[in-house]
Amino acid sequence: MTNLIQTLISGLSLGSIYALIALGYTMVYGIAKMLNFAHGDVIMVGAYSGIVAVAQMGLSPWVTVIVSIAVCAVLGVVIEFCAYKPLRQAAPLSVLITAIGVSYLLQNAALLLFGSQQMAYPTLLKLPMLTVGGVQIDGITLLTLAVTAALMAALTLFIDRTKLGKAMRAVSEDKGAATLMGINVDRTITLTFAIGSALAAFASMFYGMTYVYIKPTTGAMPGIKAFTAAVFGGIGSIPGAMIGGILLGLIEQMSKTYISTLWADAIVFAVLVVVLVVKPTGLLGKPMQEKV
Amino acid sequence: MKKRVFAMLMAVVMAFSLMACGNKADNGGSGGTADAAETIKLGVVGPLTGGYANYGLSVQHGAELAVKEINAAGGVNGKQLELSAQDSQGDPESAVAAYGKLMDWGMNVFLGGVLSGETASVVAAAKADDMFIMETTGSADKCIDGNDKAFRICFYDSYQGTAAANYLKDNALADEVGVLYQSDNDYSAGLYNAFVAECEKTGVTIKETQTFTAATATDFSTQVNALVNSGVKVVFIPIYAEEASTFLTQAKGKFAEDVYFFGGDGLDGILGKVSQDVTIADNVLMMTPFAADSTDPKVQAFVKAYEEAYGATPDQFAADAYDAVYTVKAAVEAAGGSTSGADLAAAMTSLTVEGVTGTMTWNADGNTNKAASAILYKNGVGTLFGQNAAENTDAAA
Repeated sequence: MTNLIQTLISGLSLGSIYALIALGYTMVYGIAKMLNFAHGDVIMVGAYSGIVAVAQMGLSPWVTVIVSIAVCAVLGVVIEFCAYKPLRQAAPLSVLITAIGVSYLLQNAALLLFGSQQMAYPTLLKLPMLTVGGVQIDGITLLTLAVTAALMAALTLFIDRTKLGKAMRAVSEDKGAATLMGINVDRTITLTFAIGSALAAFASMFYGMTYVYIKPTTGAMPGIKAFTAAVFGGIGSIPGAMIGGILLGLIEQMSKTYISTLWADAIVFAVLVVVLVVKPTGLLGKPMQEKV
Repeated sequence: MKKRVFAMLMAVVMAFSLMACGNKADNGGSGGTADAAETIKLGVVGPLTGGYANYGLSVQHGAELAVKEINAAGGVNGKQLELSAQDSQGDPESAVAAYGKLMDWGMNVFLGGVLSGETASVVAAAKADDMFIMETTGSADKCIDGNDKAFRICFYDSYQGTAAANYLKDNALADEVGVLYQSDNDYSAGLYNAFVAECEKTGVTIKETQTFTAATATDFSTQVNALVNSGVKVVFIPIYAEEASTFLTQAKGKFAEDVYFFGGDGLDGILGKVSQDVTIADNVLMMTPFAADSTDPKVQAFVKAYEEAYGATPDQFAADAYDAVYTVKAAVEAAGGSTSGADLAAAMTSLTVEGVTGTMTWNADGNTNKAASAILYKNGVGTLFGQNAAENTDAAA
């Protein structure tokens, strides 16, 4: 029994990190209709910015949080401006390949700047280990869950209730019509990238505090898993990203504990295949209807 | 339109700045510039840039240091040594091209590839060229197979697994052990398989086996839980220092205080990896032929010279490369100054070289016999632990 609860908790811990990353993926996809494969690497850059801010500049944890968010948001906007904006009219496939290119560019730039050796992320916040009935829960796990849920709620409110959110939904539905209605499509998409990348900064902090070691390739695998989580929950749906991420983490840790550590990834992706066969738009995804 | 031009300019500037950095990092060129007829040219292929660069640079530095020392002391049979390290980024395909470059340069003796995969991809070509290979660090069992002119300094993987199992038995550390290994890594799986086979013979039970892959090497929570629950007193971790540091960080405080984490030379450099809190490496027991804090005066002199030249403590890779160059010197001298593959290979089996990684002799299959000792880490300090594993050498080899 203790073992089961311990496994569920480690699943929640891993899942909440996936969910946090998946929020950024799904936000950008939902509005700009493009898969930003460089999202995982923005997280890596965010993590390095945290290391530099604390270890080399000696900034306090709160300032570091702001620095990380600023670095990621600016990076997201710069990437969008240099790599994606010139391709706004191009086929979706070209943008996708460009995104993969940006991902490698960021990884290799980090390799040149920081080297291949892993670096330790600073402890921004010291949380106690809670022990409930022989089960250990890391404080960071609970905080990650709470922050992910709060960000999800805030993001949903922002998109549903504010004017800018309304503009984003309009751009998502029809760029041409949105332009005719007086919405600045370019600025809206830039804002989407800024917010999506700021979310990556949050992911970088919680990833850093949970898993400590950062390498130039740190963002790649969590990025792919989080993308899977976003598809799992229904890409474009913000609550879907949260549910998909947490389910993915739980399935992964349960199969590691009860089936085999060797098979865990195969099982995770097999579940994804089954979900997509039964429900092609993911758990919470809505089928898009083309209106004529 | 203006914006698009600006965006393209930015992209070009970014690309160029990357290329400029690349050139700066890529200076693994030749050492001396003496006349070709009076020098013996040594070549080595390895990852000098990219994700595995720390291994390649260690080998390059270790070899460079030995070359400098030998040249300063008058060279080999009156000839100066010259070293060229070619970058492969750790990619076996690029290693073939790098080997070709070294052949064009006029290489006399090949110090092999830094990673096993690199060596394996050029070992046949080297045989055709009658090139003697003094492999530094390629430890996969089969990476020098099929070439009778290839010898190596480092242990081979299955030897380490066997020696580890014997060490457990001889020091009566535990009757039941847990294992954590990386299933998609040749080194780790090689050690694991040999360890399991030898444990069957020595009667040690493997109570819990956990695995991970390169893609899942960030989250070890389920593996830690399973190993803690199994109640074993020794966890065999035949993995690399980087993954081990992640595992140990997540395991900290969860295991009982008398549980040992027992690993091979892949753990070398663990203290540097966990530098923010060295107590994470507490209770790590590492079997290695080279220990930078050994009291052997030869090792101390090497460590001191290396630290002065490169500002870092030499690791196993550097020590292997250093010994490789000295072994080449001994072999060339034994072969009467010849550098032909056949002459050097014939000389190898009768050599005894006292290096910083121990006293080495070689079998005809190219593998070395040398002792491994175990080092126990506590509070960031490694000390020799238990009896020396030297007695096991014959049984395992």
